[in-house]
Order: sequence, then C-alpha cells, then structure tokens
Amino acid sequence: MTHLVSLQAELERSRRRRQWVQLLMLALVLVTVLGSIQVIIIEDTDWDRVGTFGQIMESVGRFMALDWSLIPHLGIPMLETFLMACLGTLLGLFFSLPVAWFGALNVTPSKRILYPFGRFLMTLSRSIHEMVWALIFVAAVGLGALPGILAIAMRSVGFISKITAEAIENIDPKPVEAIRAVGGNNFQVMYYGILPQIKTVVLGTIIFEWDINIRRSAIMGLVGAGGLGLTFFRQMAMYNYGGVTVVILAILSLILLGEILSHYTRKAIV
Amino acid sequence: MNAYNPIQSKAPAREWSRYRFPRDLFRFTALLVCLMGLMFAVDFLGIDLARLLTLFGRVGEVLSERYFPPDVDYVMQGDYLASVVETVQMAYLGALIGMLIAAPLAWFASWNVTLSRRVLYPLARLFIMASRSVHEMIWTILFVTVLGFGMLPGVCALVMFCIGFAGKLFAEEIEVIDMGPVEAMRSAGANPLQTFCYAVWPQIQTAWTGIAIYTWDVAFRAATVVGFFGAGGMGWYLKRNVQQLETERVAAILLSIVVLVVISELISAWARHRLNRKRDANRIAIEAEAA
Repeated sequence: MTHLVSLQAELERSRRRRQWVQLLMLALVLVTVLGSIQVIIIEDTDWDRVGTFGQIMESVGRFMALDWSLIPHLGIPMLETFLMACLGTLLGLFFSLPVAWFGALNVTPSKRILYPFGRFLMTLSRSIHEMVWALIFVAAVGLGALPGILAIAMRSVGFISKITAEAIENIDPKPVEAIRAVGGNNFQVMYYGILPQIKTVVLGTIIFEWDINIRRSAIMGLVGAGGLGLTFFRQMAMYNYGGVTVVILAILSLILLGEILSHYTRKAIV
Repeated sequence: MNAYNPIQSKAPAREWSRYRFPRDLFRFTALLVCLMGLMFAVDFLGIDLARLLTLFGRVGEVLSERYFPPDVDYVMQGDYLASVVETVQMAYLGALIGMLIAAPLAWFASWNVTLSRRVLYPLARLFIMASRSVHEMIWTILFVTVLGFGMLPGVCALVMFCIGFAGKLFAEEIEVIDMGPVEAMRSAGANPLQTFCYAVWPQIQTAWTGIAIYTWDVAFRAATVVGFFGAGGMGWYLKRNVQQLETERVAAILLSIVVLVVISELISAWARHRLNRKRDANRIAIEAEAA
C-alpha cells in the first residue's frame, strides 16, 4: 500500500515537473522569437526603403508586366540547365560509388579509418550549400558550365552515397558468400553479388536526385556557371522585371517537365 | 527469368545464345542513345574533357596557393560573430513562420482529410509546389528587389522555402495516418477542426516535430548563404570578400559556414534520434496497451 502511494506521489511529481519543463520551453520560445523579431524586423529593417503597402504592390506589379519577347532566347539556356543537371547527377553518381563503398559497414575496406571517413564525406557534401560549392569551383576552374556541373555533383554525392550505403548494408549476404565460396574476387563479388541487389534503390535515388538537381542547376548561373540562372541574373541586372518573371516561368516549366519525367521513369523501374 | 525446371518444363528447348534478338537490340540501342546524349551534352556545354583529368590537381593548387592560410582572425571578430547570431535568428524566425503557414496548408493539401477536394486541395498543392520549385536564392533576390537590403527579405525567402519544404513533408505525413479515429470523430459529429485536433494531430505529432527540427536545420543551411544576394547575415560577408578577392578571408568564412552547418546538423540528428527513441517507446507503450 505504501508502495502504491509513493508511486502515485512519484507520478504526480513527474507530471508537475513535465508541466514546468513545458512552460519553461514555451517561455524560451517566446523570448527568442520576440528577440529575433526585435533584431530583424524592428532594428535591422529600413522601413523607409520598404515603403507603404501600396509601394510594395507597385514593385510587385512591375514583375507582372511579362516580357514575352524573351522567349526565343530561353531555349538554349534551358537546354544548358537541363544538361548541366544530367551531367552533374551522373558525375555525382560516379563520385558517390567509392564513398558508398567506404561508408557501408559490411563492405568497407577498413572499419577504423575509411568507414568514418566515408561517413564524414557524406555529411560534408550535404552540409555545404550548392552556392558555396559553386563559389569554390568557380574560383578553382573558372567560369562556364564545368563549375556548375562539379558543384551539383559534389552536392549530390552525400545523398546518393548515403542511400546507396544503406542499401548495401541491407543486402542479403548469401549471394556474396556464394560468390566468395566459388572463388570470386572482390570486383566479382561487387558486380554479381551486391550490384543486382541494390540496383533498383540506386536508380530510384538517382532519378529523385536528378529531379532536385534541375532546381539546383537553374541557380548555378547566379555565380557564373551558365544556364537559366545567368539569364535570370542578366534580366535582373537590366531591371527588366517582366523578363525575370518569364525566366522564372521557364524554370518552373523545366522543373515540371523533370517531375513528370522522373515520375514515369520511377514507375517504369519499380 | 526462365529458370530451367526439370519437373514442369514443357516449353520447347531453346537454343542458347549469348545475345537474344529483340531484347539485346533494344538494350544496345538505348545504351548507344545514352552515350550519344552524353557526348552531345559535353559538346554543347563546351567542356574540355582534357581539363577534367588535371582538374583535381588544379583545384588543390588553387586552394593551397590562394586560399590556404584561412584568415581565422577575420572570422573571430565581433562583427562577424554578431552576423552569425543574426543568421541563426533569421533561420529561426523564417523556419518558425514558414512552418506556422505550412501546417494549415499541409492540412488542406492532404487528400484524406482536406476540407474541400475541389478547391482547397489543388490550391494548397499548387502553392506548396510553387514555393518549392523556386529555389531559395531566387526567392531571396526577388524579396531583396521588392523590400530592399536587410534581414527582412532573407526571412521572407526562408519563409517561402520552409513552406515548400515543410509543407510537402507535413502533408505526406498526414496522408499515411490511420483513418479509423478520423471516421470515428466524424461519425460522432465533430467539425473538421475538432477532427484535426483530436484524430489527426495525435498521430502526426512526433513525426511533425522531427520534420520541424529537420526544417530548422535546412533553413539554417540556406540562411548562411541568402546574404550573398543582400539579405544579411554571414552570406553578406561572403559576398563582400568574394568581390574584393580577399581569398584567405573567403576561405575562413567558408570554413566557418561548414563548421556551423555541421554543428547544427549534429544537433538536429541528435534531437531527431532522441525523438525517434521516444516515438518507439510510445509505440511500444501503445502496443502494450492494445495487447
């Protein structure tokens, strides 16, 4: 009986403590939100520049006067963006194979050194924003489509290799053992034992990543890597806001096309 | 496909050949088309393949010559550290407002519990898709054009980004819930809001919390660079130094961005891990109760 009573008291106390914690969290959120609003919206914003609601609407309205004369000039940048995404994904796949090999616990060449290294590469690749990758590569290899492709590739490595490594870790080990038992070398084990098991997952991931990469390659031009981003940047520099909207519409249609294509290819594979 | 099976092999014995006529023809044609597409892409984009071979050597050379001793003192000054705090605040506020808008949108954009399948569902879907399709950098540029420089356009861009990002994940989470409680609430005469609060919300609570943490993490990653187009925070310092060709400072800023993003990713991974454990514990508790 006393045991039950003490249990009840314990429960009551833990509930009260949880309520306190929740209250404290709420207060913390409120304080930080108010602090951020104070800094960002009250102190930092130049409200004279923003102007009244009418002025904001006026500058939005300038974007609405579409400049259709730009359309004939959009075909080549669109194709460039599209191809940049394709090549970037392909190169990303190429880079991510060794990373996945290092980062999968059951096939990694060395668990002490290469496994953490592979995992680190995956995190690093995903952590760095594509703009930063593009800046690094524009600085290193100059302007043009190549830095864009490299940036997209580096950014895709993390995701592709992470999913691939997980797929490798989840394979059925029996075919691998069978191939080892009949004397297959490491390459044969990978090609005949592992690859057939992870093929669908990897293909699905690549198509998914390709779809995202179209979105990314559309902004590579902003830092000097060609494609629709460059057209966007030029229209912006010419203050031709109607043209800017048309470029955005072109980006949207390209992304829509990518989404439709990836939907059907994924259906065909699975 | 057609494994040899002695018991029920009634099909006529086929002559074995390494190549099978129609299938392999299609395969090789597809491969050829792919390779031609690759060649065309490389040619169209004007990529010098010979340069690719020496690429990594050159990247390493440039990095070691121009970027190598990162100017760590620069990123340790008060001004820069203040901009880091600003970036965190920007990401925080952007993600919070974005998710507050994304939550009702996700409700409308999930087929099973949406208020009206004719009007609200396609509208919400369209809005989420549009804000997701436009890259956050483009949002930043647009908002900077309309609202001027400063952190406000950055927050607005992050809000749009988070609506697209969180809205999609939120809606996907609603679409896989168990419809039993929803039907029970509806048949007891609950209005849609009550149904959402008492039948949908308990089922998605933990998943949404995980998504919220993840969204914050991704928003912070984006916030570190939105300043590049004039929206305050660390990106602004990056832009200035890139244009002044202060490469050693750029290196230090990039390093600081990487370190901060990795830290935020670790925190978010830890939080999500804890949450998942709690979720599993919850699920076990529910299953134990049901048994």
